[in-house]
Amino acid sequence: MERRNFLKTTSLASSAFVIGFYLPSKSKANEAKKETPGLAPNAFVKIDKDNKITFLMGQAEMGQGVYSTFAMCIAEELDVNWEEIEVEAGVPRVEYNHAWVPVMLTGGSSSVPVFQDRLRKIGAALNIMLKEAAAKKWQVRTYNVETKDSMLINKKSKETLKYGDLVEQLAAMQVPKDPKIKPLAECRLLGKPMKRHPKEAWAKVRGEADFGIDVRVPNLKYAALIHAPVFGAKVKSFDASAALKKPGILKVKQISTGIAIIAEQWYLAKEAIYDVKVIWDKGAFENVNSATLDKEYSALLKKDGNVMRKEGDSKKAFANAFKTIEAEFNFPFLAHAPMEPLNAVVHDQNGTAEVWSGGQLQSVYRDVTAQILGIKADKVTYHNTFLGGSFGRRASKNIDYVSDAAQIAKGEAWPVMTLWQREDDIKRGNYRPLYKNNAKMALDKEGKITAFDARVVGQSVVAGTAFSFLEKNGVDWAQWEGLSTHPYRIESHNLQANTPTSPIVVQWWRSVGFTQTGPMVEGMIGIAAHEAKADEVQYRLDMLTNPRHIKVLKEVARLANWDKREKEKDVGYGVSFVPSFGSIAAQIAKIRITGKDYKVEKVWCTVDCGFALNPLNVENQMISGINFALSAVKYSEITIENGAAVQNNFYDYVVGRNVDTPDIEVSIVNSSEKQIGGIGEVGTPPIFAAVANALLDATGKRFTNYPLKLA
Amino acid sequence: MKIKFNVDSRDYSLDVDGNTPLLWVLREQLNLTNTKFGCGVGECGACTVVMDNEAIRACSTSISSVNNKSISTIANKEDKDLKKLQSAWVEEDVAQCGYCQPGQIMNALALLKKNPQPSKEQITFSMNGNICRCGTYNKINQAIKKATKAI
Repeated sequence: MERRNFLKTTSLASSAFVIGFYLPSKSKANEAKKETPGLAPNAFVKIDKDNKITFLMGQAEMGQGVYSTFAMCIAEELDVNWEEIEVEAGVPRVEYNHAWVPVMLTGGSSSVPVFQDRLRKIGAALNIMLKEAAAKKWQVRTYNVETKDSMLINKKSKETLKYGDLVEQLAAMQVPKDPKIKPLAECRLLGKPMKRHPKEAWAKVRGEADFGIDVRVPNLKYAALIHAPVFGAKVKSFDASAALKKPGILKVKQISTGIAIIAEQWYLAKEAIYDVKVIWDKGAFENVNSATLDKEYSALLKKDGNVMRKEGDSKKAFANAFKTIEAEFNFPFLAHAPMEPLNAVVHDQNGTAEVWSGGQLQSVYRDVTAQILGIKADKVTYHNTFLGGSFGRRASKNIDYVSDAAQIAKGEAWPVMTLWQREDDIKRGNYRPLYKNNAKMALDKEGKITAFDARVVGQSVVAGTAFSFLEKNGVDWAQWEGLSTHPYRIESHNLQANTPTSPIVVQWWRSVGFTQTGPMVEGMIGIAAHEAKADEVQYRLDMLTNPRHIKVLKEVARLANWDKREKEKDVGYGVSFVPSFGSIAAQIAKIRITGKDYKVEKVWCTVDCGFALNPLNVENQMISGINFALSAVKYSEITIENGAAVQNNFYDYVVGRNVDTPDIEVSIVNSSEKQIGGIGEVGTPPIFAAVANALLDATGKRFTNYPLKLA
Repeated sequence: MKIKFNVDSRDYSLDVDGNTPLLWVLREQLNLTNTKFGCGVGECGACTVVMDNEAIRACSTSISSVNNKSISTIANKEDKDLKKLQSAWVEEDVAQCGYCQPGQIMNALALLKKNPQPSKEQITFSMNGNICRCGTYNKINQAIKKATKAI
């Protein structure tokens, strides 16, 4: 397979410098799948002679708990001592490729759904092989050998062997193709609430876990960047003479996205930014601001768009409606703002190279580095670290931070860490798109919804990437997911989208399209229930058809004591229900109006992810998803002035803090071992509308412009 | 300027521009990377260390202002209260990505040094300067409560 075929590159000289990774054809994808060899336990488990057992991870750990849940999957069947195992990132190899795209990808809440079965089988296969090897050594039947905590026991003689004693025998053995795995109900680890693996947890509370920013290799130098002051601007010329006179400054160079300063220390490089004079060709976007974008989007909102769902006769339904409700929804650009600023270390070693970074697309990061350095991908060794948060940011669509680092280190004698300032992270883009939507529902005399029309206006997230196959009829995945696929029985639909473009790169932000479709669909349902003077829970139950959906919604109502909720002045309750990423989540929010502000006091959340392999991690991810979304519900927004982001850092790109945090209660429904869904993004979508509906309940006013402000 | 200071019971002396923030001296000159960089402007708390029982933001503290002082970081192995907080953090399964947690824990340490039995409101108020994008605040507060019982 020619790995570079997966990369679509525009001119390196252009300052737009967009590398989308994409699949040229289906046959390539099939080829890649054929290459994946069987269970390949070697890619996932390393057993040393001293009985050190290491699980190697192809998926990236960014907080979502994948290392621990994957380790549980292997450990369950392999039968090892949980406390003693090591878990580390594997160097990219084809065995780690994702089932959807032939690259390494941690995203779409897909790690557990895609890999859990295979990992359990790898554990089971190795367990069988170990037992067979021990049986041969002891000259007994295999059923006379049992395993416990990384040890083999001869049931007859009570002799023991360590797994590590059989390493040489294992190497010569065939791997069973389809070993039997335990039903989940019989597992000792899976399905049990397990804390994060103790080695990872302790490393993290001691500050010893290595993130990309903590990489220290001999002779390391550091680079800071001067990025374009306007989206799409290009460097015309620069004068670095003053900067080069300062102590510790080694080099100033132009790259496709701006100017890089390389220094002995990053702090020195960052300070020297003010000593470099850059003349920019700011381009046409300089005259753009939030108001002009709003005008452009408003015009598109009035135009017919590409159709994502059309059925029934919504024109007739609206003509015959007893009541029509209509609302405009506005969603701003959002930065991901993970706590660890973006970074990568690249060492160009003249024909080979080494890269250290935290990424969700490791093999792509390797391939892009190779391409920039002009060497073959197999000459680049990529090391993935822990990710200091991501929320989709480190699955960089244009590989921005790694391509910065590769360009900076290219041809240099030293390994160079390129580290973005927080301001670079907030201002440089790769945002959740700006959306301006309109939605309309027709209600009959009984308050039942007979038609649902909507229009979505926003930039495309998947166009030009490996995920362009998720576009439908020219409608972006993030425009349709959760909208054309909403869970309710409504007779007529006319759902459309228009897709503007701009030099601002947009990409996936935790739960992707559901960040706009969830609030819109559930906000509209809340408004419809309010207009129909119906109970929000019952109103939804009357429109749901899937028994799993009904169960989850009833469960959250039970958890919140919905029927007996205490009604007080200035208090509101709101419901929201969003199936996403193969799982189903319902939330009820309780808010309190406090003068000109409001506080989300309590959130009840029920989730059905098929079967919770680690219920404690599922709970943690629900809490995380809710709190992450609450930043965007109440505070966060990127606005544009003179072609640039107005916001800079956490003082003006405001995110949720400790005082904003509601009490959160989570319950889990296990409904189907055969349909295990995702968890990392599932808690995020419902809370938007749960809060909007609670505000409607408390004030009688509609809240559809995010972030939601009282005045 | 010549700076002498003590980090986690170890003495250091170096010749450095006095305006250099403590954070970058720790991370890049002493290679003590346990303390994290998050925002550079004292807004997120990822770089929190403790000096004279006060939580300080290392990114916004010049090295000259810690001359002849002792500071305690997340890497301190001798502070028993810190150990109790770290244990509580592990027991409550707080850390997700884990990047902000060294700062969260050091901020909590300074709180408990001054107020060993904080109320729920005092915890929330004192911890408000530390951002966690994974949203582990609920568990952070539980862990602090747990540690107050152990201390």
